[in-house]
Amino acid sequence: MKKSILIFCLFLSHLAWAQQPVDSLIIDKWYMPDHLKLQFAGNIGFLSGGPGYISRNHTLETDILLGYVPKIVGGDALISLTAKTTYSPWRIDLKNARYIVPFSIGAYLNYTFGPQFDSKWPDYYPKGYYWWATSIRPGAYAGGKVGRKVQNRNKIKGVELYYEVGTYDLLLVSYVLNPNYLKPHDILSLSLGMKIGF
Amino acid sequence: MIPYYITKRVAPALLIILIGLFYSCEGLFHFSPNEITLKESEKNLNAKNIARIQSQVPNDTLRFIFMGDTQRWYDESSDFIKSANAQPGISFVVHAGDISDFGLATEFKWINDIMKNLKVPYVTVVGNHDLVANGPLVYESMYGPMDYSFEFGDNKFIFVNTNSREYKFNGRVPNLPWLLSELRDNPKNKNAIIMAHAPPFDADFDPSMQENFSKMLANDPNVRFTLYGHQHTFKDGEYYGDGVHYFVTTSMGERGYLLVSSWKEGYKIERVLF
Repeated sequence: MKKSILIFCLFLSHLAWAQQPVDSLIIDKWYMPDHLKLQFAGNIGFLSGGPGYISRNHTLETDILLGYVPKIVGGDALISLTAKTTYSPWRIDLKNARYIVPFSIGAYLNYTFGPQFDSKWPDYYPKGYYWWATSIRPGAYAGGKVGRKVQNRNKIKGVELYYEVGTYDLLLVSYVLNPNYLKPHDILSLSLGMKIGF
Repeated sequence: MIPYYITKRVAPALLIILIGLFYSCEGLFHFSPNEITLKESEKNLNAKNIARIQSQVPNDTLRFIFMGDTQRWYDESSDFIKSANAQPGISFVVHAGDISDFGLATEFKWINDIMKNLKVPYVTVVGNHDLVANGPLVYESMYGPMDYSFEFGDNKFIFVNTNSREYKFNGRVPNLPWLLSELRDNPKNKNAIIMAHAPPFDADFDPSMQENFSKMLANDPNVRFTLYGHQHTFKDGEYYGDGVHYFVTTSMGERGYLLVSSWKEGYKIERVLF
């Protein structure tokens, strides 16, 4: 676990380094990310951030986000890693290189680090005793974004602001089984984020 | 590096909006399924509710409801409140554990929001589902210690964590030395009513501690009956042939609970379906 965080941090620092003009060639390598995202809330951290890639037709984004919840905010300090994929089929271009993406839909897998969270239940539980893994949360969301293309300014090609409204498996199960007591707003929550494209 | 208009215009505006939303819309943002964000009114509930119970004047006959295993049954639990509020002469409700299904603070809060609608206070004992993920932290900050006791009228109520499997059957759960000290600390020989989640004859109760536990109860003349949840079905019997009667309440999914009446010389336990 610690090793993977370390590798991830090295990767991030490498990105920061890559933004230096001296290393401008590195940015063109196929494995270099197309963008960085910083997200607030959304059940993957108080703040989460990390690199991502976008498909050639600019509709599919895939991101790896390292999330952190400080104890003062979440009652327990939590670190998690999230892989998320967002599909945004339409883009409406406006004046001055601005645009709106009216609808996005996506899904994620979130892994929370910590000895109290299990991916596989230990042997002292009978098989199937608990059916879910406490460390891994799949979730889904829908949202939208606004963006602006930036020309000839350093390495940044564009900036987007996005919102997402989502939930995750355990809350969804609870909601489906309790149509009277639980309302959509009980299981949905909002996240806001920024994407910087290279 | 970052364009001027972001740093000077968008970013501060976004920050102000975020801070505003964060403080004005509780529940709009969630940071982790495992976060433990509780309001002051959602903390230390057992101690607060015991104080409310003890502020009542006890009758010679005490009546309370023993229910449990709310887990994922929010609709059914809401119906339970209607049934419980229609029972006359109830002093309090005991939740036998498995308050949550996944050990998430969100679930504990939903159940507390439902249980707040009871006309009487409620207290809890911890269940195995309440002990997964960050459940132990949620339970302790929301309800308090997992082993505790209080007295009311002629009764001493003892709540003990019996979810041995969640502790790898380490021989320390249930805490038998603590239980013995609680049973001994009863100078007025009040009815000792032990309540827990997993009954000693359940596979999740440490099998190596079953005999010591049941003997401890049988050896105390103040223990006549004892109450459990976990098995999602009504049960009762003298499981160890030692004069102590064991009762198990069913789950909210099965839409049932126990109505307990206790007085100095006797007790009555009725099954209620709603």
